Amino acid sequence: MSVLALKADKRRPHGPSRVQQFLPLFPPSLILLLFFAIPMGMMVGLSFQQSDASGLTLASYERFFSDQFTLMGMARTVVMSGLVAICVTIMAYPVAYFLARSKSRWRALVFALAIAPELAGVVLRTYGWLIILENQGFINNALIWLGVIAEPLPLAKNMFGVVVGLTHVILPFGILSLLTSLQGVDPNLEKSAQILGASRASVIRHIVVPLTVPGIVSSMLLAFTMSASAYATPAILGGAGFKVLATMIYEQVLFYIDWSFAAVMANVLLVMMLIVALIGTRLEARLHQKLHT
Amino acid sequence: MNQVVSALFWVSLVLVLTFITLPLVVVMAASLSPTAVVTLRPWEWTVQWYGDLWTARWLDPFMLSAQLALIVSIASGVLGLLAAYVVAYEKCPGHAAIMSFLLSPLAVPQIVKGVAIVLFLSSAGLYNWLGTPGLIAAHIILTLPFAVRMIATAMFNFDKNLDRAGQSLGASKMDRIRYLLLPIIKPGVFSGMTFAFIISFNNIPLSVFLVRPGETTLPITVINYIEYSLDPVLAAVNVASLLFVLGVIFIFEKIGGFSAQIHGGSK
Repeated sequence: MSVLALKADKRRPHGPSRVQQFLPLFPPSLILLLFFAIPMGMMVGLSFQQSDASGLTLASYERFFSDQFTLMGMARTVVMSGLVAICVTIMAYPVAYFLARSKSRWRALVFALAIAPELAGVVLRTYGWLIILENQGFINNALIWLGVIAEPLPLAKNMFGVVVGLTHVILPFGILSLLTSLQGVDPNLEKSAQILGASRASVIRHIVVPLTVPGIVSSMLLAFTMSASAYATPAILGGAGFKVLATMIYEQVLFYIDWSFAAVMANVLLVMMLIVALIGTRLEARLHQKLHT
Repeated sequence: MNQVVSALFWVSLVLVLTFITLPLVVVMAASLSPTAVVTLRPWEWTVQWYGDLWTARWLDPFMLSAQLALIVSIASGVLGLLAAYVVAYEKCPGHAAIMSFLLSPLAVPQIVKGVAIVLFLSSAGLYNWLGTPGLIAAHIILTLPFAVRMIATAMFNFDKNLDRAGQSLGASKMDRIRYLLLPIIKPGVFSGMTFAFIISFNNIPLSVFLVRPGETTLPITVINYIEYSLDPVLAAVNVASLLFVLGVIFIFEKIGGFSAQIHGGSK
């Protein structure tokens, strides 16, 4: 706060000087520069270097794109994130629709239920799914007790478990993003369609869903980017058998201590995110244009 | 037909809400179950696992996480206030560009930020920074953009006419900041700080690169423990830390009064 005080004391008739005006920006910018901008630049540089050679080289990138193991990791990341994007959006839609239209006293409760898990942190929720899905877990024990199955179903330590866990983690964000979109749709449109004799199903199909396509797209993109960069859920629910880029990066840094290769993986993940975000903003802009003309 | 669609809607709503609450309920039941097998029979429940939490194994990481989150939340509040003041209140030249610089860490996945910081500290020879100082720096990078955004929104909504009224009554700039701006944006500052606290306290993707033996945060301790065993003490740790977070939110709300902002919600 001393910076602000200093600024105020030296008031001048023509307002504070340029330098003084920018002075409070100095501490936050310095921290961002030192612990974000410079490390990011360094990481990008490191990905073009090899410990045993001087100068810049694409060797680590070549290794990434020719290695079966890393390519599989990348493919898993994409498939997993795509599935989570679809599951989140489908599951979030009814909740968001209820929250956007309901005036009942249950609304506050549903809202709290939908958002509260976010406070619990990823570890608690992922641990909960592990107890539910593992071989001696809730579901398998129940099914065996009921005599439906003899052997436990493989529900955890694979793609299925990770998708379930990530869907749970990301669902609140999907609900919020669809909610904003649904609140933008005039409820009178639905009412007038119903008065004119449209069934509930056709109102949803021909009015609600088409008008919320931008919201659906943004919810899917959000879910995709969030799951592609998630670490904890794949690490806990995926186990050794299901490696995605995020968990592979961690291993490169802490077990194999191959910084250059870790930097390459991180860059690939980052570029993947940026491409998805770019496609997303383009698509959203185009959809907006289409809806408003 | 309409009834069928309605019924489908309500069924799907209930199913999704069950899906959302299921793991939380299961963890709570697990923390009270006498053995690793989760029981839903309340008369068998016991609180013995919560008693096991009072050991250095869980208390030390908890203390580290709590202190870290407190430091990070205060630092984000102060730094966010400084940045938002210039960008949103003074609206300095180029404020839009500066704002995107301040928010730029949001575009980068946490795990990538984590790798970048650990590679930077290691190659710069700053090994002493691994551990608590590195954790503080990394968490601030993560939480600062959220704090800046929330505080800047509060400042954008601040009615400049109040400021002019103060000025015409002879209040100095410092007085106007102290008695007009800060009290009015207080809820925004505290919601940013609360957010920072929660994010830092629960963080995994950044912490995982920066913890050291003896300096491990609570979530990382829990993850490492899961690999060995799934005993109910883990469930107790998770429930206890959730209660702690709820308590912190309650205290921050009492000081900052931000719930009015959330419910009243400006767009």
